[in-house]
Amino acid sequence: MSDSNAIVTNDLHKTFKSTHGFLKRTTRLTEAVRGISFSVEKGELFGILGPNGAGKTTTVKMLTTLLLPTSGDISIFGMDIRKQTVEVRKKIGFTFGGSRGLYGRLTAIENLRYFAELYALPPEVSRKRIPKLLEIVGLDGRGEDKVETYSSGMQQRLHLARALLNNPQLIFLDEPTVGIDPVGARELRATVKYLQSRGKTILLTTHYMAEADELCDRIAIINKGRIIAMDTPSALKSQISPESVIELKTSHENLPGLQTLLAKLDAQTKITYHENASKQVARIYTLQPAIVIELLSPWLNTDLIHNMEVRNQTLEDVYVNIIQGEEK
Amino acid sequence: MMKSLVRIVRLYLFQAWYSYRSLFAWSTPFSYMTSKFGYPLFSMMMFVFIGKFVGFTDPSYIVLGNILLMPITNGLYGISMTIGNERQFGALSYLLGSPAPRAPLFLGRALFHILDGFLTVCIALPIAMLFFDIQFKGVNLFLLVGCLILITIASTGLGLIMGTISLRSQDGWMFTNTLGQLLFLLIGVNFPIQQLPAFLQPVSTFLPMSRGIQAARMVVNGAGWSNVAGLLGGEVLVGLAYILIGYTLFRIVERASMSTGSLDSF
Amino acid sequence: MASFFRLAFRQMDVQLRMRVLSLWSLGLYFIQPAIFSAVSMFLSQAAGNAVPDLIYTVLGGGIMGMWSGLVFTSTYDIRADRREGTLELIVGSPTPLRTVVGFRSLLNVLAGATSMLAAVLVAVLIFNYSFSSIYLPGVIFSFLLLLFALWCMGVFLANLLAWSRLSGTFVDLLELPVALLCGFMYPISVLPDWMQSISVIFPIRWGLEAMRDCLKGSVIGAELTMKWLIALGISFVFLLLARWLDGKVHDHIRITGELRSV
Repeated sequence: MSDSNAIVTNDLHKTFKSTHGFLKRTTRLTEAVRGISFSVEKGELFGILGPNGAGKTTTVKMLTTLLLPTSGDISIFGMDIRKQTVEVRKKIGFTFGGSRGLYGRLTAIENLRYFAELYALPPEVSRKRIPKLLEIVGLDGRGEDKVETYSSGMQQRLHLARALLNNPQLIFLDEPTVGIDPVGARELRATVKYLQSRGKTILLTTHYMAEADELCDRIAIINKGRIIAMDTPSALKSQISPESVIELKTSHENLPGLQTLLAKLDAQTKITYHENASKQVARIYTLQPAIVIELLSPWLNTDLIHNMEVRNQTLEDVYVNIIQGEEK
Repeated sequence: MMKSLVRIVRLYLFQAWYSYRSLFAWSTPFSYMTSKFGYPLFSMMMFVFIGKFVGFTDPSYIVLGNILLMPITNGLYGISMTIGNERQFGALSYLLGSPAPRAPLFLGRALFHILDGFLTVCIALPIAMLFFDIQFKGVNLFLLVGCLILITIASTGLGLIMGTISLRSQDGWMFTNTLGQLLFLLIGVNFPIQQLPAFLQPVSTFLPMSRGIQAARMVVNGAGWSNVAGLLGGEVLVGLAYILIGYTLFRIVERASMSTGSLDSF
Repeated sequence: MASFFRLAFRQMDVQLRMRVLSLWSLGLYFIQPAIFSAVSMFLSQAAGNAVPDLIYTVLGGGIMGMWSGLVFTSTYDIRADRREGTLELIVGSPTPLRTVVGFRSLLNVLAGATSMLAAVLVAVLIFNYSFSSIYLPGVIFSFLLLLFALWCMGVFLANLLAWSRLSGTFVDLLELPVALLCGFMYPISVLPDWMQSISVIFPIRWGLEAMRDCLKGSVIGAELTMKWLIALGISFVFLLLARWLDGKVHDHIRITGELRSV
């Protein structure tokens, strides 16, 4: 195993057993992870994307020793998670999305002191480290407040502070910005980048494509328990095509009219339709955006086209493309 | 008018069933049996052995009293725990934020607990007959069933008062639990009410269920309708009073809870 | 060594403030035992006894409080951690769950001792109980042994109940049956023979019997020593079982993924 790897996984599988029925019990097996293999280099910020139920959190829990794989191997800094569980736990920190996992009636500092003891931190170390961590996550001045008075965003930031208590070399962040307002999320992303600049290895799961695009050195896209794509964000984006995306918005009533209009485009042009709040969104993928715009511009700001936006393909487009391709 | 009535009945039944299933569903028959019968039967045995030690020569008195307590605790805990559990699962705000009328919404929740309590007694009584030699010869079963139903309904008023405490306090279930324990003492479950000190006997008189239990005991001993009519009438009045007080208190506290923000989960 | 004591202090501090100091404890340690004691006394009165046997009615209530407190806190701690999401964080730390459970159980047992203290005060101050025949060193040793037995059972229970989300069902099968079988509020001889045979496996039964014998000054010497040794021995068996369970539980809950509540 290479010394430069923080994480190495090999053919990971995880199957859950559940029973159903009251008088007549039946057992159901659910394969949450079906053969995942990847490695993460030291100092890398690695992202895992996938739809709900894809197996992201199950994978993270196996990596953080909270779940045992049904089969497959995991090594963290060269240590087997089954045989050297305690040693692995000393070297990692983790947070899961959401605000559960703190003692509400205690203050932030008391919560951190409690978890510091679980990691056997000497008091002189935790005395210095706790205020610094609160500052890093933007909670300085709020350390003496009870956690039950915190907003969910603040609780998540406190979780990040908790995950950093033992100065881990590897940090797992499972949907760290879920439920946080845009300003808070931006600050948290800045914190994540800062941690990476300090040499930490970070594995991040998220639903927010822009976040993954901004932060991650490499991304794995998981669907139905398998990795279906893995590369740098730019490589993933170039994988599909250098097409531009023209996004049109219209109302439900005018969609048939828009579809008739778009039928005039080249038959090879890929067009997808989505519903977005109260509007219908049409996305046109084209190598010749200028020609398409020229065709459509007379209809701009009419009932047929309320809004037009031209952009390059984003990670979201890649993701949707890959997942939908998988579904087909 | 008819439409409103149908809506209320539907609300009453559906809410009752879904509430019962969502908050009190047992995943296996084993957990159902241990939950329903574990504590009541073992506490009954405990009191029987205490009675044996101190020389109380009528164990069937204790056994019958504790069996009669089973549907009562179902009615009491059913409503009060319903409110506490809705709060714990975070559904209370949605429930109270809906336009549904409160009476069928919450009182309806007692329905399946009452039925459940009845089922519990139907299972416990034959067991008691087998092990503790309780006889049912010459007993007016129809009247006994009536007593059981009345006792259970009467307890729901008390449950509603306890549930009201859950609206205000996260420790509301503790009060319910304490009251449930006090029932061993105050309503003639384990010993005649006359054994209580003078200052406690009026408390027993003003509690629902005391008369019902007394009436049920008399019916098991062969009494007829004329012997127990007075007691049952009193039980109806006291029970109704508690239901009315409980409902009124609930509405007042509901309003107050919305301004203090105490509806949220733990 | 210093880190061990710091961990102990921190665990017990959080346990005290999060779980023990609550209205719930008031019910467990004082109200429920008082009610059982009161029922016992009124039954005694109804049976025609002028004075109840305080060792069983009042002190029996005290041991009820100690045991009920331990059962509920042992089960509630794990369930609360699971529901609050802290169980994952504790299991995911380098500190073994058994260490955390051990310290919490110790505090739970010490908190439960207040129930017995309250019972003694009631017996002495309200019922003028006289300790004329008491064998005091024996009572103190027996009580400490009882605390140790309770702690061993508490650690065992917490490990057993960490096993599954459904373990809460077992509370109904633990609290009163053990109180019943160990003769908390009556002598063991009141029970049928087959129940007395089952009760021998509980160290609480032996510790309690020894304590009562010393309170009454009725048994000292070899018989008392035998009861102490049995209580101690069985307590260690529970401790060993807890240690064995700890490893199994640690793996089992990570296989089934039941570290979190539904």
